[in-house]
Amino acid sequence: MKGVGIFDGDILIVDRSLTAKNGDVIVANYNGCFVCKLIDKTQARLLSASADFAPVFITPEDEFSLEGVVTRSIRLHHQSPELAACML
Amino acid sequence: MYALVDAVSFYASAEKVFDPSIRNKPVVVLTNNDGCICAVCPIARRLGVPKFKPYFQIKSFLDKHDVIVRSSNYELYADLSDRMMNVISRFCDNQYIYSIDESFLFFDNYANYIKDWQAYGHQIRQAVWKETRLPVGVGFGLTSTLSKAANHAAKKLSGFNGVAVIDNTISRDEILNRMNVEDVWGIGGKIAKRLKLKGINSAAQLSKQNPKDIRQQFSVATERTVSELNGISCLSWDEVKSPKKEVFSTRSFGQRIITKAELRSALVTHATIVGKKVRKQSSLINKLMVFASNSPHDELYYKQAVVYPFIMPTDNSCDMAQAINSVIDSIYIEGVRFYRCGVGAIELSSKSFVQPDLFMPDHTNGNLMKCLDTINHRYGDSTLNIAAAGHHEKWQMRREFLSPKYTSQWRDIPKIQC
Repeated sequence: MKGVGIFDGDILIVDRSLTAKNGDVIVANYNGCFVCKLIDKTQARLLSASADFAPVFITPEDEFSLEGVVTRSIRLHHQSPELAACML
Repeated sequence: MYALVDAVSFYASAEKVFDPSIRNKPVVVLTNNDGCICAVCPIARRLGVPKFKPYFQIKSFLDKHDVIVRSSNYELYADLSDRMMNVISRFCDNQYIYSIDESFLFFDNYANYIKDWQAYGHQIRQAVWKETRLPVGVGFGLTSTLSKAANHAAKKLSGFNGVAVIDNTISRDEILNRMNVEDVWGIGGKIAKRLKLKGINSAAQLSKQNPKDIRQQFSVATERTVSELNGISCLSWDEVKSPKKEVFSTRSFGQRIITKAELRSALVTHATIVGKKVRKQSSLINKLMVFASNSPHDELYYKQAVVYPFIMPTDNSCDMAQAINSVIDSIYIEGVRFYRCGVGAIELSSKSFVQPDLFMPDHTNGNLMKCLDTINHRYGDSTLNIAAAGHHEKWQMRREFLSPKYTSQWRDIPKIQC
């Protein structure tokens, strides 16, 4: 998600109480996995911020639930040992 | 109007919040030491997984059905409970948190604002689901006992989709007719048995009894339950949760204990747990029961329990440690491989009604205990401990299937793929 300024190892602040609008950066449960994508509600698609990844269409067979809207992301300019353990 | 909001198999549901891979799988949670099953999610319930069964007895069944097993992750549950209670509190200005996953709401003069309680209940359910991913049931009733009955109906009886309302005699009778008497709040197992002997089997039958007769044959508490079932409110928040009359801490060991020193530290560890709970409910201990045993499956079963009476009632963990020191010789026997031990405060009195003794100085040392409890609350249990409790791993809880502490440890925060 580098296109929207989110890099590997960043911390995301996710607000579950908000209702996502088209184009919001969201966290979703997509087939048993938490993913961070841009949401396209009109066409039921998950978009990546990079042109290298094609949009993913959400089909009725998929397990999908919107978990929350990403309101902030935090860049770590210095590695912290606790979070380094989390990245393994 | 009253409401009771509580989570559907809270511990099992809590395990699913931050682990989307198990959301649609059967999940069970084990008690302390991974002994028994204490929570069964609805999917596992449909498979026929029973509650309160020892884990080892049902392990092969769980394996066969690919049931996900978790140890109790109290740090996670406590945090999710806070979040859930927070969301619920938005819906009423008078909330009473009754347990980790239950809260009562009292709506005084809301009749002008809320026309449709059913819809309001669904709003609460949706908000809690959206913001915490915990499923809750909501029951509305004219008294707290009726709200509890409605909550039972919302979750357990067919035809209710997580919300039930008792706001008149028709809706009341419809639900009470379908409820067993032992499912009524405040009716314990013993009273239920006696009621059944008299032919009172359903909640509806109980509600039709004459309260005066019930008081004579049972107690004032049961009489109040009958009145509450008839829409007459007689419980206040304080009475809803009366202090416990006994406090126990007991556990079986991960490994057997053979030496006296080890048994002593295990007992003192239990004593500190009891002490903390007793202080939290502002009680004092008159008598302390100390017990230890090997396993009933051992060749020679050994069990010993000693009751230690305090001259002056106390809530001081140091006094309790001393009590254990003075009874340990009558409990410990060389050669016995101890499997289980515990400490129980079996006679408690209220701290606000103490009869001081002219010749016995007060040595409860409230300041020291307050300091101990505050530090341990802030930095975690056993940050500060009585030296006699020692520091051993042997009787630490067995938690083999523990999930990450998603919300209280930085290294355990959920990972998200981009």
